[in-house]
Amino acid sequence: MKALGRFFKDINRNKALLLMVLPATVWFIFFSYLPMLGTIISFKEYRVHGGFLSSIIHSKWVGFDNFKFLFSTDDAYIITRNTLLYNIVFILIGLVLAVAMAIVLSEIANKRLAKWYQTGMFMPYFLSWVIVGYFVYSFLSFDRGMINKIAASFGMDATQWYSEPKYWPFIIVIVFLWKSLGYNSVVYLAAILGIDKSLYEAAMIDGANKWQQIRNITLPMLAPLMTILTLLAIGRIFYADFGLFYQVTRDSGTLYGVTNVIDTYVYRGLKTTGEIGMSTAAGLYQSFVGFVLVITSNYIVRKFNKDNALF
Amino acid sequence: MRTTRKKAAIGLTSAMAAMLLLSACGSNGGNNGNTAADNSASGNGGAEPVELNWYTIGTPQKDVDKVMDAVSAYTKDKIGATVKMTMIDWGDYNQKLQVLTASGADMDIMFTAAWAFDYVQNARKGAFAPIDDLLKQYGKGITDTLDPAFLEGSKVDGKNYGIPAYKELPTAEVWRFNKTLLDENKLSITGIKTLESLEPLLKTVKQNNPDVTPLQVDKNYTPYIPYDYLIEKFPLAVKLGDTGYKVVNVFDTPEMKQALNTMHKYYQAGYIPTEAATLESSSDVQATGKWFADKATTQPFADNVWSTSYGYPIVSTPMSDALIYNSSVMGSMQAISANSKHKEKAMEFLNLLNTDPVLRNMVDSGIEGTHYKKTDGDYMENLPESKNYDMPTFALGNIMLTYLNPGDPADKWAQFKTYNAAGKPAALLGFNFDPTKVSSEIAAVQNAKEAFWAPLMTGTVDPVKYLPQAIKKMNDAGLGKILTEAQTQLDAWKATQGK
Repeated sequence: MKALGRFFKDINRNKALLLMVLPATVWFIFFSYLPMLGTIISFKEYRVHGGFLSSIIHSKWVGFDNFKFLFSTDDAYIITRNTLLYNIVFILIGLVLAVAMAIVLSEIANKRLAKWYQTGMFMPYFLSWVIVGYFVYSFLSFDRGMINKIAASFGMDATQWYSEPKYWPFIIVIVFLWKSLGYNSVVYLAAILGIDKSLYEAAMIDGANKWQQIRNITLPMLAPLMTILTLLAIGRIFYADFGLFYQVTRDSGTLYGVTNVIDTYVYRGLKTTGEIGMSTAAGLYQSFVGFVLVITSNYIVRKFNKDNALF
Repeated sequence: MRTTRKKAAIGLTSAMAAMLLLSACGSNGGNNGNTAADNSASGNGGAEPVELNWYTIGTPQKDVDKVMDAVSAYTKDKIGATVKMTMIDWGDYNQKLQVLTASGADMDIMFTAAWAFDYVQNARKGAFAPIDDLLKQYGKGITDTLDPAFLEGSKVDGKNYGIPAYKELPTAEVWRFNKTLLDENKLSITGIKTLESLEPLLKTVKQNNPDVTPLQVDKNYTPYIPYDYLIEKFPLAVKLGDTGYKVVNVFDTPEMKQALNTMHKYYQAGYIPTEAATLESSSDVQATGKWFADKATTQPFADNVWSTSYGYPIVSTPMSDALIYNSSVMGSMQAISANSKHKEKAMEFLNLLNTDPVLRNMVDSGIEGTHYKKTDGDYMENLPESKNYDMPTFALGNIMLTYLNPGDPADKWAQFKTYNAAGKPAALLGFNFDPTKVSSEIAAVQNAKEAFWAPLMTGTVDPVKYLPQAIKKMNDAGLGKILTEAQTQLDAWKATQGK
């Protein structure tokens, strides 16, 4: 009873703050927590039977059968490896480049020019992967691609880019960074602009040069944001960007060894049978691994620095 | 200091996370929005007209609602129902209908086919209402006019779930040729039938017209072999005319091996586009006319249709017999949703659509005087407004009722009927493989198959090296198990058919 009283008192005291988180809470309940009940489909053979709920209830339980297709062949190793390695590379290089770019942008004296660069880098983020796929194609097309044309003018042989797996790990990383770098660096740039200017002034009085200022003020101030964004990225490490691996590679069969990831595997495998249970199973598997990884990495971060951890 | 920064960071990141989730849910949210168009008409057959929700395929047209108002006015008098049509674009249809069905949306009639919102699978998953009884009661007009082969061939486990559009019945593959180039090089297409017989022609064109693609092929191409596939673009098939009904892996057959070798030879000779294996479609090269030959599926007067749509003359010659496959019977159908509250009315409407020329042409061409005008007899001409109501004729029921376009022969539909009568059933007509028991294996084999399919079929890679790899990879993924299951089902079916 006493606890309950304290609870209402707490609510009363924080009502302004609680009111502010209300929209997000409602949003999360409807779009994140409520749909979680749907994961039950991954253990069922989903068949239509009236409305959605009655379909779920009437569908047959199949245990873990829906998960089998993910692990039944050698492809299980390939898709897991590709998904994980690409995402690790994206996270690491993405972090370094985004922070570096943010610092460079913040140091440009001509603010108008800085805005230009910033917008220019930001734009690709808004393009859909289909469009990006055609951009890449205009570079890599065999007959009409820019790269082959340039190679020809130097007397080099044309390359069949879309059937040479060895180039694709690089192409994919470059295309991903080109598209996402602008957005991430803007996030860091906003944080840099928020750093108290007096810190830099004090450093300058003490005779610190630009490099020392960056190393001793900017980077430590950015560390919490970097950790949090990285932790969140780790949570999605088992999700691959479908558009990147499907559209940009033009779904070329010869490249599957280096471009097949969990999401494309699921799409290719299920597009003929359209088993909702199996695609839900794949999603649940991805979320589960992501969840475990976030908890683990958050635990590790806590060990080092409690303030930087997510929770 | 540090904690404020952290709070700000958390706020920022959660806002971003929200954005990510929002964008991920975007497409689904949109679908649900569509379905919210609730129809309030209740009861069945009373004085109040019932509103039928009709989902069909095609690029959404500006004047759909306007035309449906006219259609509704007509059907209200005839059967006491009004129609609301929702068009969903070609590329989205599959996915959107899957979501709409799975979520139990309020739909009455929907388009289905072997190639879009897969008819057989969705019938088995319970998306459609069985219509055998409804057909007897309210679909008399359909059973009277429609060639019985359509309804017979589209049975799933002994029941009908959709009304096939009355159109060309058999499927035949042809070689198409760009006539301008044929004439220019003084080439003749008599005696051309096999892939191999094309060679001298391709060679001449390659020599005389270096900027032309001699054999236009894209990633959807498969060489013709005399086999009937169990699942579209899946390597299991039965040889045509094989009375033992033995299921084989097409990659193991001598016909496929030979075709792939020839394709590779052509590829190396430069007859085929270099990037054929990743080419989505041939529409670019068709627009420029810089191609000489390709493979296509024909129907009566197809040469005229192609010539008109490309703007330059096309001629064709058959490469296969005209056979009735499952995919040809199920090329275009209308099904009634299992969740429909007005199944009887929906059937009455479908009956009217497939038998009443006034309704059928209104749905197809729009409002007379606005979108089209009648000329002599059964001929019509599109008016400029028709650009706001340009519908895929074949996807909207009986095409034999539609008015003739300028240039069509007067006996067009009679010729269609003759063509249909000449068609012979293919090996597997009426048999529908049920993949439920082996769906894990199918998912795995699909991935193995997709890696090799287009490169092999287009001749891009050397079959001597890659064919054994492909076969091994598919077998490792469980193709053998699917084959055994298919054979069991086929044998059981054979027994019931008395074959």
